[in-house]
Amino acid sequence: MKAKAPYLGELEQQILLVVLRLGDEAYANPIGERLRTAAGRRVARGALYTALERLEAKGCLRSTMGAPLPERGGRARRYFTVSAAGMGALRRSRRVLLGLWDGLESKLETS
Amino acid sequence: MTPLPAPPRRVERLLARALARAIYRDDILGDLQEAFADLCAKRGAAAARRWYCGQALRLAIRYGAGATGGARSPHPPTSHGGTLMDRLLMDIRLAARSLAKRPTLSAAVVLTLALGIGANAAVFGVVDALLLHPYDMHDVDRIVMPFTTSPQWNGRRETVSRADFLDWRRDLASGSIEHLAATLWWDANLVGRDEPERVLGFFVSPAFFDALDAHAAIGRTFLADEEVPANAKRIVLSDALWRRRFGADPAIVGRPVLADGDQWLVVGVMPARFDFPMGAEVWAPLSFDESAARNRTAHDLTVYGRLAPGRTLAAADAELRTITQRLAREHPDTNAQLGAAVYTVSRGMADVGVPAVLALWQAAGVFVLLIACANIANLLLARAAEREREIAIRLALGSSRGRVVRESLVESGLLVAAAIPPALAVASASLRVMHAFMPARIVRFIAGWDRMGLDWWTIGAAFACAALAALIFGTLPAWQTARGIVGDALKSDGRTGAGPGRQRVRRALVVAEIALALPLLVVAMMSVSTVTRSLGSWQGYDPTQVLTLRAILPEARYPDADSRARFAGAAVDALAQASGVREAAVANVLPAIDSNATSAIELPGRPAVESSKAPRVDYRAVSDGYFDVLRVPVLAGRAFTAGDRKSSEPVAIVSESMARKFWPDTSAIGEHVRIAGGPWMRVIGVCGDVVHDWFDYSRWADHGNGRVPTLYRPIAQAPSGVLVFAVRTAGDPLGVTAGARAAIARVDAAQPIFEMMTMRQMQRDRAISLQYIASVMTAFAALALVLALLGLYAVMTVLVTQRVREIGVRIALGATTRDVARLTLSQAGRLTAIGIAIGLFLAVALGRAMEAGLLGIVSSDIRVTAALAAGLAAAAVGASYLPARRAASVDPIVALRTE
Repeated sequence: MKAKAPYLGELEQQILLVVLRLGDEAYANPIGERLRTAAGRRVARGALYTALERLEAKGCLRSTMGAPLPERGGRARRYFTVSAAGMGALRRSRRVLLGLWDGLESKLETS
Repeated sequence: MTPLPAPPRRVERLLARALARAIYRDDILGDLQEAFADLCAKRGAAAARRWYCGQALRLAIRYGAGATGGARSPHPPTSHGGTLMDRLLMDIRLAARSLAKRPTLSAAVVLTLALGIGANAAVFGVVDALLLHPYDMHDVDRIVMPFTTSPQWNGRRETVSRADFLDWRRDLASGSIEHLAATLWWDANLVGRDEPERVLGFFVSPAFFDALDAHAAIGRTFLADEEVPANAKRIVLSDALWRRRFGADPAIVGRPVLADGDQWLVVGVMPARFDFPMGAEVWAPLSFDESAARNRTAHDLTVYGRLAPGRTLAAADAELRTITQRLAREHPDTNAQLGAAVYTVSRGMADVGVPAVLALWQAAGVFVLLIACANIANLLLARAAEREREIAIRLALGSSRGRVVRESLVESGLLVAAAIPPALAVASASLRVMHAFMPARIVRFIAGWDRMGLDWWTIGAAFACAALAALIFGTLPAWQTARGIVGDALKSDGRTGAGPGRQRVRRALVVAEIALALPLLVVAMMSVSTVTRSLGSWQGYDPTQVLTLRAILPEARYPDADSRARFAGAAVDALAQASGVREAAVANVLPAIDSNATSAIELPGRPAVESSKAPRVDYRAVSDGYFDVLRVPVLAGRAFTAGDRKSSEPVAIVSESMARKFWPDTSAIGEHVRIAGGPWMRVIGVCGDVVHDWFDYSRWADHGNGRVPTLYRPIAQAPSGVLVFAVRTAGDPLGVTAGARAAIARVDAAQPIFEMMTMRQMQRDRAISLQYIASVMTAFAALALVLALLGLYAVMTVLVTQRVREIGVRIALGATTRDVARLTLSQAGRLTAIGIAIGLFLAVALGRAMEAGLLGIVSSDIRVTAALAAGLAAAAVGASYLPARRAASVDPIVALRTE
């Protein structure tokens, strides 16, 4: 039986979307940068790593290590990809949100 | 290839350690380094380093403090209720909310703290400026001042004789102190492009500037061979003088200037801000002629030096003591009693009384802070009592005691943090007020006064005070809270804070407040009464409508007695004719001026004693109108007249106290007296006593009322080169200053006059330091009084609230309102009585300390102390009146219904 997709917080949702958009270049620095430019939120570095850890622990993200780089003091980048569970969670939260939004657009415009 | 920019190594290592348990440790470090390299390219290395440090700090706090044990936990931040940071933030939010719920209480606490901390920080600001960091000089702690000491001077340090200085310098040449240099006060009369001016100067040994590590901005300082009298007519100007009198002309170096009737070659100009010592404006080489170099009796040199590399103050002190011991053996007639002591320049320049006064202020400040803390502890205890049930429930439901205590401590910390900005404002304002009221002509003699202000040291002191305060008033409620016993609080009937232990603590705090307030009141009253006495009481002369001005006749232009007498006579006549002037007189010393002249005397028929043991009196050379101008009464005989000339019989007038001391049984008129070695003078009159100086503590002990025996001579028979004119005017004395200046200029256009001021002003200036002491002590005492009374009021209110049921029962059983009021008042009275009893002990001790510190200027008075104690008791009863009235108006029905 397929496991039920986990619930996502707003920051988690945004991180997953950003990881999807970044594709092969999704490691912490550009993720934080894209959150700032696209979502307009400045996420503290510590909070970002905590959220990434949590998403990986929930199974929404998978990570792989790149090659060691001199500009990182010989350390490798950790690239993230959204797992099947993560896609499921995104789909589910989109569905829930769209369902909740349904029929309210006119209200939003008039108010 | 350029090397890649690397983040600060040490910070990175520390961060790596803090991240030891983070799952993404290497990723975080790598990401940071990569972002750092980007930032370096965009905004520069410095900005990038700052950014890196900030990021590292935040990450370290998050991961380092949040390490909650165990190996790399997959969910470190959430598993134990958040990281330490999160928990602390939550506690702070909770505490802020709970404080905001009681805005009056919080505001009262913050205000009390701000006053307590601010007052202490302000005093510390003064201590710092005057004692700890008075000079802005390179390596100031290595600059030292050796002094002569002697048991004869009650252990006080003294300046150094010339021969001793030369011996010291020779013997210390390769020892602990290098660049040993002497200075001598010089009132330089400058004549030049503008009107003549008297400027403060110093004759200094050439090594003086090396000792201070000071260098000329233009030209040079003095050369070693300029100490020889033949080469000594050199001068170095201060930056201020160079701008003021010489229009900042750089070509002044190498040109002569006229001072004291001589030509001096300008060799250099010092940089701006160098005006050591005492705001000096000119320096000239100090030279020694043959006889001066052998003089061991006149102690008039102030000596400076610099500790040799690697040597300590203690070593220098020991070395100099050895030298003085040898000098004592070699010159037993002059040096037998003399020792030496080496001080740092900051301590050496400070007035001997200053540390004592500042210690007194700081002690008073600490008293006030303690009272404030006691008050706050009381308020917080009351609050903790109100929350007793809430806390008991939380404890019963499994909250940890540690957490409850932590909350209480965080609340205290928050209150202190909120109090720091207003406390700094209080400190800054107090310092500014103190700074503003000190006259500029006195400021130059108080090293460091101009540096007084809110500097980092003072701010640090405020933080230290705040930490201390938090510790004092924060731990008590926390401890009481932690002691809370769950069952008891839940079983109790809702009356709050009624535990006997808690009540005891609260009462003890009030007793302590009163005990601390009383000594402050006593000391404040002591200093205030001294100021009023010195300014308000009759001092033997009439200082109103008198203008004073000073002149110092240079020896080069007034070499002999005749020329000086001629100038004095002509100047008095010229002044008397100026418009608005009624009478004029001149003397070597006027009452209340900041200098004095004394002389050893001999009386006929009494065995001659060596000069150091001969009786000494104050010595005045005055013109014939002197007694009229100052309204000093001539009690017997006659005043001086124009007939008392150089050629006529030498005469003298003695003060009443002198007549009483030396001729107790007979009239002094017709008796003879002489100044050692001088002609015999016939006493022709006895005049009233004059208080010369209220604050001359060294003589206070001998002449308890300030009336020092004084001998007057006609200035025509004893001409002086130091002249002080007194001009009695018809209207405002300051209205005739221009006329007086012009009058002197008519006699000698090259003769500068200085310190033109009213006699009243002169008196006020003399009293100013004591006025400062009195004002600060009064402010502290007022603060302490208000805080103590507020504390008593608050505690009585709480006690009455707690006893409402009991009072209700009493009233129901027939007690009258009067009985109930008496019950409350007697409770307050007991606390006050205990407080005052303890306070009296403290008051006596502090009063003694102040007497010792001010060397007897002030004296404690048991009647004043008793009156103040009674006043405090009355005020305390007044403060508990409102709570007592509330107790008396308790409605028994309502009171008994409160469950």
